[in-house]
Amino acid sequence: MDPSSSLLWQTRRHFFGQCTLGLGSLALTSLLKSDNALTAADARAINPMAPKAPHFAPRAKNVIFLFMAGGPSQLELFDHKPELLKYHGKPIPESFIKGKRFAFMDTFAKDPPKLLATRRKFARHGKCQTWVSDCLPHTAGIVDDIAIVRSMKTDVFNHGPAKVFVNTGSPQFGRPSMGGWVTYGIGSESKDLPGFVVLQSGGRGPRGGAANWASGFLPTAYQGVPFRTTGEPILNLSSPKGITSKRQRDVLDALRDLNAERLEDTGDPEIATRIASYEMAYKMQTSAPDLIDVSKESKQTLDLYGAAPGRVSFANNCLLARRLVERGVRFVQLYHTDWDHHGSGGDDLDGGLDGCCKATDQAAAALIKDLKQRGMLDDTLVVWGGEFGRTPMGEPREKIGRNHHIDAYTMWLAGGGIRPGISLGATDEFGFSSVEDQMHVHDLQATVLHLLGLDHLKLTYRFQGRDFRLTDVHGEVVHKLLV
Amino acid sequence: MTFPHLFSRRQMLLFTLPATFLLLPARLAAAEAVDYARDVKPVLKAQCYSCHGAREQKGKLRVDTVTLMMSGGRSGASIVPGKSDDSLLLEKITHGPANKRMPPPPKAPLTDKQVTLLKAWIDQGAKAPDNEKPDDPRDHWAFQTPKRMPEPVVKNAMWPRNGIDRFILARLEKEGLTPSPEADRITLIRRLSLDLLGLPPSPKEVDDFLADQRADAYERLVDRLLSSSHYGERFARLWLDQARYADSNGYTIDSARSIWKYRDWVIDAINKDKPFDTFTIEQLAGDLLPGATMEQKIATGFHRNTQINEEGGIDREQFRVESVVDRVNTTGSVFLGLTVGCCQCHDHKFDPISTKEYYQLFAFLNSADEPLLEVPAPGQLEARAKVRAQIAELEKKLKVLDSTTDEAQIHWEENVSDVDRERLPEEIRNILAIARSGRSRKQEQTLKTAFRRIDQSRHVVAGLGDPYPYLALAHLQALAARGTLEIRIIELKAAEPKVVTTMVMQERKTPRLTTIHIQGDFTRKGDAVTPGTPSVLHALKVPRSAGLNRLDLAKWIVDPNNPLTPRVAMNRYWQHYFGTGLVETENDFGTQGTPPSHPELLDWLATEFIAQKWSMKAMHRLIVTSATYRQSSKHRADLLAVDARNRLLARQSRLRLDAEIVRDTALTSSGLLTPTIGGPSVFPPQPEGVYLFTQVRRDWKANTDADRYRRGMYTYFWRSAPHPGLTVFDAPDAATTCTRRNRSNTPLQALTLLNDQAYFEFAQALATRILKEAKDDNAERIQLAFRLCLARTPSEREERRLKELLAQQIAAFEEAPESEAQLFAPKISPKISPRQQAAWTMVARVLMNLDEFVTRE
Repeated sequence: MDPSSSLLWQTRRHFFGQCTLGLGSLALTSLLKSDNALTAADARAINPMAPKAPHFAPRAKNVIFLFMAGGPSQLELFDHKPELLKYHGKPIPESFIKGKRFAFMDTFAKDPPKLLATRRKFARHGKCQTWVSDCLPHTAGIVDDIAIVRSMKTDVFNHGPAKVFVNTGSPQFGRPSMGGWVTYGIGSESKDLPGFVVLQSGGRGPRGGAANWASGFLPTAYQGVPFRTTGEPILNLSSPKGITSKRQRDVLDALRDLNAERLEDTGDPEIATRIASYEMAYKMQTSAPDLIDVSKESKQTLDLYGAAPGRVSFANNCLLARRLVERGVRFVQLYHTDWDHHGSGGDDLDGGLDGCCKATDQAAAALIKDLKQRGMLDDTLVVWGGEFGRTPMGEPREKIGRNHHIDAYTMWLAGGGIRPGISLGATDEFGFSSVEDQMHVHDLQATVLHLLGLDHLKLTYRFQGRDFRLTDVHGEVVHKLLV
Repeated sequence: MTFPHLFSRRQMLLFTLPATFLLLPARLAAAEAVDYARDVKPVLKAQCYSCHGAREQKGKLRVDTVTLMMSGGRSGASIVPGKSDDSLLLEKITHGPANKRMPPPPKAPLTDKQVTLLKAWIDQGAKAPDNEKPDDPRDHWAFQTPKRMPEPVVKNAMWPRNGIDRFILARLEKEGLTPSPEADRITLIRRLSLDLLGLPPSPKEVDDFLADQRADAYERLVDRLLSSSHYGERFARLWLDQARYADSNGYTIDSARSIWKYRDWVIDAINKDKPFDTFTIEQLAGDLLPGATMEQKIATGFHRNTQINEEGGIDREQFRVESVVDRVNTTGSVFLGLTVGCCQCHDHKFDPISTKEYYQLFAFLNSADEPLLEVPAPGQLEARAKVRAQIAELEKKLKVLDSTTDEAQIHWEENVSDVDRERLPEEIRNILAIARSGRSRKQEQTLKTAFRRIDQSRHVVAGLGDPYPYLALAHLQALAARGTLEIRIIELKAAEPKVVTTMVMQERKTPRLTTIHIQGDFTRKGDAVTPGTPSVLHALKVPRSAGLNRLDLAKWIVDPNNPLTPRVAMNRYWQHYFGTGLVETENDFGTQGTPPSHPELLDWLATEFIAQKWSMKAMHRLIVTSATYRQSSKHRADLLAVDARNRLLARQSRLRLDAEIVRDTALTSSGLLTPTIGGPSVFPPQPEGVYLFTQVRRDWKANTDADRYRRGMYTYFWRSAPHPGLTVFDAPDAATTCTRRNRSNTPLQALTLLNDQAYFEFAQALATRILKEAKDDNAERIQLAFRLCLARTPSEREERRLKELLAQQIAAFEEAPESEAQLFAPKISPKISPRQQAAWTMVARVLMNLDEFVTRE
């Protein structure tokens, strides 16, 4: 706020020299455009989401993160392990699990856990001949456009901390999330929507709630903004009952004039920011409902995603993600719950898993196809995956299921500088550990930032005497994944 | 290309350097001697010491004295006096690709000017001061006992009102600056009310203050405000930020918790001006005080505000350890202003605190149990005991009845016919097939329940009856009696007085063994440690060395010899009143923090705090009665160039109100506020759809009674989805301690104040109030509206603009159907038309959205 204050002061003088107050002609946006002396940093003093140059030329402009909350089973979806069939029902050799900690240790402690073969059928797909199971027929159809990472690794095995770990680089609650870091680093191109938007589908919200899209110690402006996909997308977006758009404008005009008068009187540039915030809020009142109204999309597009106007679904959210990115929103995160298939109740690897796949497979693939046909995939990085994977061993519950697993699981990435049609990494014969090209969550974070033109070592924020990063003190950009 | 051969490698380097670098040396070399202490050492300190200094010596190199630089590290000497081209230091900071140069990222490379100076200094012979001592972080200013310097002499002797002002003015005079004039009285009373109470002044309070012609009218106002019970609320909320207070457990499930008694304890303690040392001791170790009172136990809720993970499949010990880690780090931030959390995994990189010392602090906090404490209202326990005795009596009767049924059941089990057995559900048949001794408790229970159910449906009674008719009869009678008893017990249980509980700390009889966690991993146990305090700070003066506990830690923290705690506390007060602390990094007084803008003033305040026997009220009074505080907050063109961030305080600062205070101000202006202090948290309205994004959907039933209009600090705080009206204005998330709030300025705030149902209600109420209380005259009404919202009266232009809006709105509503106006104008009196009321609601909305409305001027 420091160096820009003086510029704002000058700009303000220049500005008020030309305008007369009370005429309602105060257009603050022109304050941003009219003066060449205003740099991006100065624009930030007025709008914290103003775009800012990255550290180097970016490959991607936007990110869509399809967060499969709960921990999808890589062994049912992507990681083909014929050896498990052979050893199905046999206890896992102790060498694998010695010294390891798992969730639900007590159930594992009673009996040595037994290996569980998948009931799903795997086949090779696409030109790249990549293994995908029959759970994901649509994803199987886009394997030549995506990069599958089979060797993901994380540090924590409980849902809440693990989700927050993927999002913030730390299992402790309270740190800034990836979308927060990104918008802090490079702002957003959107003039009338928040820079970081969160969407939700599935039975309930993700564990951890707001901690997943928090701004932590970053300025609060960088928090993710949850969008509801029916009714009012943003809290308090609609004017109160009986207040027409015209009436709202009347109030805002008077408000702007009085605020401008106060700005003149006190010289505090914060008031200019306030005026700009109200103008943007007013714009959002039109732009956000427009955004969520998918009824104007062609039938062909709706069918591609499996979306339907007015419905809350992952399919609608994927379509909305494209619409958000089209409008310049920097970081869109979709949560779909719940992939936590332990094997009790509906949470099993039969019907439970089928439900999640049916809800997400077509739309996720459609998003890639749609972005591609619109020429947006080059600029948009899409990430698919959850907070961890699932064990090669089954769980002794009523139905079939697997426990949380952190040593090896699968995610996929596409677009925005990702090399299409490749698979990275490999796991051992049971799919227990990554044996090739292990990619840690911090590496994923470093890579996402890299594609956006941000050096994860340099994107720091000083808090409590330390320069904090998204990647803590770890993380390597995974160049093998890049074009 | 051959030309590189013409140059040495180091000469080549010149070609890679920017043009400015080539221009500068000529000028420097000509005459100016580089001063090591002024030009070189500070650069090295900022850029190099963290890896090549007292705490760490990467490559065995230290650069904190010239001698050390000459002796060098693993790669040899880092400087050669007179020969910068041969000096490794210079090569390392200039040679190679940008990302391989020293210092490594995220540190920025040295500027051209810094490089030039460094080079020139070496070329000029690398002169060092005599007796240069190696850097020792133990010498850091914040670890030294505060020194009370005499108040400086100032030229403008008329300006200062107390010691604070002399320190501030002396510095301003040194910079050739003058303070701003005192703010007008209306600004002052609004500023004071908002700062000390978090509530704006009423028009009457403003009038009284304006009319008070006594010389000490201002001080009287301060005293009146400090004795208001709302003062306790205001400063309690700031303290609760640091205590990470919330009404739920956090993490994923985020269940409700009951700990508001602790919140009320804080309000009460501050209102009673409990000295800060006692305030601290009771919160950290109230349970360990001899004959600890209920209140002292409640105070230990401070460290129970950690989150609790209730997710399935967790390792409980892991999360217990995490909560202790949070307690250590919070204690460090809140009381010591130190980032001790850095030492959880490794020795502190910058401050003289080791991992071992971290776990010694950990050991103090590792030996508590975490029970719930019942806090009964008077007579409640006796009443409950009475009800419980009744219940026990009834349960005894139940038992007698049950023995009859049990007997009947055994008889039935032994005699049930095959036909009857066939009719039973499979699960029951299976249990019956197991010998009684082989059944699990769960199976027994299932059978018992099933028997009672089948029995009543009479299928089996016949089978039961034959040989023992009396038994069947007795059994049926028992069941009937049982039903009545059960209903009675349920009624009694519902009527049982509910005693409020609160979460507390309670020391275990035998302390837990604490070990170092290698690299912060609790599964990797290192050496065992016993409680102890960091050696860089004052000594722990306890006659014994064994059996140290939390109480010893608490007393050590408020030992008057502690150089940190009084400074840290005073700095946070300063931050409250001026927006930024004297030490800007309010949670890091270590070597990486920013040095104080006015070190003597900070020390003066710290020593004054102790001299005032840790009275918080005395210190608040001292600060707000200073001339420094009373200045106008108007920006000044002359200050922008020299002090854009207002660190020198030649004016006050305009500060956006805290989240809760935005609400409180709107409630007060509209006249809706329910000023009740304390009690369980409440549920004001919130927009629909908040819980679509949480694991567990909460049932948020908005209060419809007076609790709908309570102060923002009483709003129930769910950690996973806090009330959006709080978060949008930067209320902390209660995940970890918060020692300074953000002040953002966003479109979402605009949407909240414009459209939130709650704020719309406030605007309606304000409109109603204006129409009821002011004379039937638009100018008078606008006057009152201004005074209610901003304490001041409008300027001519402001009044004109609002009249314009009003006329426009009345015209618009005249065109619109009447019902439209009625939509949002509850009828208040037959004299006032809904149209008028609706139009005034629009005016009220403008006022409640003004920047000035949410700003302390």
